[in-house]
Amino acid sequence: MATQARRLPFPTLAGRLPDYIVPAIGILLVVLLVVWLGVNLIKTPSDFYRLFLIGLTNGAIYGLVALGYSLVYGILELINFAHGDVFMLGGMLVATMVSSFGLAGESGLYLWMMILLMLAIVMAFCAVINTTIELVAYRRLRHAPRLAPLITAIGMSFILQNIGLVWKGARPTSVDSILPKGEVFTIGGVTYTWDKFIVLLFTVPVLFLLILLVQRTRQGKAMRATAQDRDAAAMMGINVNRTISFTFFLAGALAGSAALLYALYITNIRYDEGFRLGLIAFTAAVVGGIGNLPGAVLGGLVIAMIESFNNGLSWATPGSDWTQSIIFALLIVILVFRPEGLLGERTPEGG
Amino acid sequence: MISRRRGVLGFLILLIAVLALAAVGCGGDDDDGDGGGGGAVEALPSAACGPIRQGDDDPDALIASDLPLQGANRALTTEMADAIEYILDSHEWKAGDTVLGYQSCDDSTAQAGSWDSAKCSSNARAYANNAAVIGVIGTFNSGCAKLVIPIANRESLAMVSPANTYPGLTEGGPGTESGEPDVYYPGGTRNYARVVWNDQFQGAANAQYAQELGVKRVFILNDSETYGLGIATLFAEYAEKLGIEVLANQKWDKKASSYESLASRIRSSGADAVFLGGIVCNNGGKLIKDIKAGAPDVQLIGPDGWTPISATIEGAGAAANDMYITQPGIPVDQLTGAGKEFVDGFTEQFGKAPNPYTAYAAQAAEVLIAAIEKGGTDRTAVSSALFETDIQDGIVGSFQIDENGDTTLGAVSVYQVKNGEETYVKTVSPELEFVEGG
Amino acid sequence: MNVPGLPAERRAEFDAELRRRLFRGGIAAVAWIVLVIIFSGFTTSLIVSTAIILALYAVPWDWLRHGKWVVPAVAIVLAILYPYYRDELYEVPIFGPFPSVDTAVTMTIYIMMAIGLNIVVGYAGLLDLGYVAFYAMGAYTAAWFASPHFAESVGGVHVGSVGVSPEAEGFHVSIWVVLIVAAIFTSVVGVLIGLPTLRLRGDYLAIVTLGFGEIMPQIARNGDNLFGTGFNLTNGAQGINPIDPPGFGATISGWTGLPEDYLSFNASFLGRELGGIEVFYWTALALLLFTVFCSVRLRDSRLGRAWIAIREDETAAAAMGVPLMRTKTWAYAAGAFFGGIAGAYYASFKSGTFPDDFFFNISVFILCMVILGGMGNVWGVIVGGGFLAYLNQEGLGNIGAEINETFGTNIDVPLYQYGIFGAILVLVMLFKPEGLIPSARRKAEFEEGAVAEETLYDVRGAPE
Repeated sequence: MATQARRLPFPTLAGRLPDYIVPAIGILLVVLLVVWLGVNLIKTPSDFYRLFLIGLTNGAIYGLVALGYSLVYGILELINFAHGDVFMLGGMLVATMVSSFGLAGESGLYLWMMILLMLAIVMAFCAVINTTIELVAYRRLRHAPRLAPLITAIGMSFILQNIGLVWKGARPTSVDSILPKGEVFTIGGVTYTWDKFIVLLFTVPVLFLLILLVQRTRQGKAMRATAQDRDAAAMMGINVNRTISFTFFLAGALAGSAALLYALYITNIRYDEGFRLGLIAFTAAVVGGIGNLPGAVLGGLVIAMIESFNNGLSWATPGSDWTQSIIFALLIVILVFRPEGLLGERTPEGG
Repeated sequence: MISRRRGVLGFLILLIAVLALAAVGCGGDDDDGDGGGGGAVEALPSAACGPIRQGDDDPDALIASDLPLQGANRALTTEMADAIEYILDSHEWKAGDTVLGYQSCDDSTAQAGSWDSAKCSSNARAYANNAAVIGVIGTFNSGCAKLVIPIANRESLAMVSPANTYPGLTEGGPGTESGEPDVYYPGGTRNYARVVWNDQFQGAANAQYAQELGVKRVFILNDSETYGLGIATLFAEYAEKLGIEVLANQKWDKKASSYESLASRIRSSGADAVFLGGIVCNNGGKLIKDIKAGAPDVQLIGPDGWTPISATIEGAGAAANDMYITQPGIPVDQLTGAGKEFVDGFTEQFGKAPNPYTAYAAQAAEVLIAAIEKGGTDRTAVSSALFETDIQDGIVGSFQIDENGDTTLGAVSVYQVKNGEETYVKTVSPELEFVEGG
Repeated sequence: MNVPGLPAERRAEFDAELRRRLFRGGIAAVAWIVLVIIFSGFTTSLIVSTAIILALYAVPWDWLRHGKWVVPAVAIVLAILYPYYRDELYEVPIFGPFPSVDTAVTMTIYIMMAIGLNIVVGYAGLLDLGYVAFYAMGAYTAAWFASPHFAESVGGVHVGSVGVSPEAEGFHVSIWVVLIVAAIFTSVVGVLIGLPTLRLRGDYLAIVTLGFGEIMPQIARNGDNLFGTGFNLTNGAQGINPIDPPGFGATISGWTGLPEDYLSFNASFLGRELGGIEVFYWTALALLLFTVFCSVRLRDSRLGRAWIAIREDETAAAAMGVPLMRTKTWAYAAGAFFGGIAGAYYASFKSGTFPDDFFFNISVFILCMVILGGMGNVWGVIVGGGFLAYLNQEGLGNIGAEINETFGTNIDVPLYQYGIFGAILVLVMLFKPEGLIPSARRKAEFEEGAVAEETLYDVRGAPE
């Protein structure tokens, strides 16, 4: 019953308009976008490349956070508002570790070993927090009306933000810059640096591993089954509670890894940044098609590109003042006209 | 049985009636007590203000300070409150015949980490409605002052600000909006004075110094707040007058996580300097880091929003190196006479040298005490006495308060960050003609 | 002697109930009095106030003829007289003194907003995470029509302005008119936002409203040069101020003695010196009463029953012929209406409005009030809203001061503000999801549990 209902398409405004209107508007927008990018590319090519590389890097980080939203939404149909704040706490932990391990100025093998160590610690840290939140705040409400867990999620988000505020204060915490900034390659006068490349080097394998895990392993099968129909999955002998816990654990670990990259690459973390970034990442997940894993990363890239180009290009650009509005307007438009997102299928299993 | 039940209800009604009468009677008594008693003054609400600090005698009147005691400026503002207490203590908590008490009030919230409009206006009403308050030292932020001044003005409550530099609070002209400053004085007579030079001078001094540095093309960023936008606009105006090309005057979003793309824009604009009109708490550390990473060759120049300079250094790390930061007034270690006495005494008592703004807070307290000496506990008299202020050899020097409430003492010190340390460079004093000629 | 309005045969029952409540209430009252005396000492006000509350609680008033009006009437009278007896009240242990009149104004305004949001969330069951947008809209309407903001474009336009000189430039419209304009304007915007979005359900709707709630402050922040046209709509991050105070102007004031201008008002009435703050308070109270009245009447109207039907089961409601879109849009409009009034009045009270006042946290703060009090129940929302607004404004600071004084610690309690609100959201949802003072209906829905879950699935082709 539940499954069938969930599979029904969303009633949208589109349903009332002639069929060709929405695609036509969509195509028009895409054409305008391409023209705008093209003109900017011709006018200021080096800006364009530089901004593209910035967008690519930020997009990878947004994508990592968005994956966590997508996983959780896929299995529980719950927007885990606290996810961004778990990420933020992870970032603060990284900031603390970098300064207490005295990593500033280090290089070579020792640095990489320490980064891997921090990665392990922060992933475990965030995973444990996320699983605990599920246990404390969501599990009891699994049969409550849907607003209830959503509201506890907001409540948890506020609690975590407050922990961050008390931990590090209202001022942004500066993280020592330890990633190498050497050149990978130079294109059109723009240097692609190692710190950006590392972010990408990390995200791509994570995405593949995750898809592999969800599609090829027993645990992944259990997750997909639970997502499709919790009751039926339980009848088939799947431990639903454990599967959901595992999903939260996985999402937390992803948030932790994103936190490490963010803290090391952006080198700044503030208590309310998680919430802001969480919203962006959630938007990314929706844009890509929530529940769809590659979609989340694609959404992250799209949003980061919009952000970066809008902030940095100079021809006919609204500018950084409006970035946030553009992103949320995009969210609203997508939700209203195409709630299944760019990558179509509204299924949680991805791929 | 029935009579007993009636009894219960009857008793209850009787009880209420008696108690209500008692309350009315008691209320009357209390009123009389409050009115007749010459004892303790009514304290400002504890939700926003600290306890009354006082000397040996119970105060007849209160001074309040209105500062953002939470967030990035916490260290500075608590130091300013200490300095005010220190000054009052050195006057033995007396101004003429008036025994003074002091309360330090907070206009910020922990979440915002800076001033909050609701707190500013509710504090202002608390000062205005409490007859014991005869003077306010504050505010720290110009935006907050815009809310507090009109409310205090209706009650002729004297205000002396140690840190508001937005020009429109006291006078019209460059960098102000139409209608300013009269919109802030609905009562008609002025009640607000400040002991720092307003941003018309600071903007001019910054522009002059930029010219001295050989800047030809400048990119201006502002945090879009009252202070930041104001000083950025003024800087742009004076810079253009001096023949420096202003490439842009653009906002930075304090909530953004990265300014790399903004830096890219600055880089491709060909600017040789960036003027940062804003305050360090608006994500300034990250802004400096990203600009320095994206456009390493530009010279950064910032006004006093980037003080205490230690906060900028802490936020931006090595990226802050070479940045110039100006501040109205002369460095505390160059103060002489009363200023040196204050600095030495303060250092001895609190174990650290005061910030420049702390010296201004002390100076504001002195100005207010002098006005109370003349005006006693009459608010109107204190307010008008402010404008007769004539300080000789005060903490920051000799000066008067003019009819607008501005100080006649002007100097802007330039500091530069070198190897993570602030170093004093020089003092710039732009000509009055140049400043007001616009 | 007969108890009025009570049939003789129920008399015994009445007395039994009275005794039972008197016994229970009496014990609580004595315990309370002892507790307060131990912590803060004895005052007459303690006995009087406790006795009044005991009397309100102990007598089963609603069994009597016209009895259901007793509690609200006494509450209203007590609220109106609050400035008169506030200074005589005792100190509550831990919480310190009762809220100042200044705080009471803010509390009243927040309660109004909470009641507005309650229409959307509590009655119609639509989670709105961007309610602050309506508050902002109201505040900016007040700022446009009652401040020097448009001085350059319109010169001086005065419509019953008070508290400003007749030559002052910009729009200066009487706040009473501005309140109406703000209410209508925000409800129109509510409808405009609602039309495209209300077809979404549950959490998608929540996210879309959140998106609007995030866009709105950005427009306010960047509205000083809207889309590069140089048109200054909102004056950017500097906000718009000063906003004119409310007042009745010289003419009406001359006839009736009502305050000419709230800020400079000074009078003596019933043996007490009154300042602007008291009239601000009474006006806020009047607005609140209006809001409560409308909210209760709406709930009991045909529209209100349609909202509740949608909340309980959208599909069934649609099947029974409830027009979904129209009904939901009305909920939005009604909620926005009160948000607009509250926002405009608050802006006038604060005499300024700033984009930083309108962030997501405020939306959640108001949501928290609705949830704590009990979604759907006006009385619960009043209690929840009043309590949280008090905590936010004064309570946390007082509690902190009290704790630090008692234990010699140095804890900054207001720092934990949003953590505490978050914890309230979580705890209430986990242990008492119907709120502290639930409406009977809502409670039943939460207890049904799994049945309610079904209503959130989407059904295509539901009739309009």
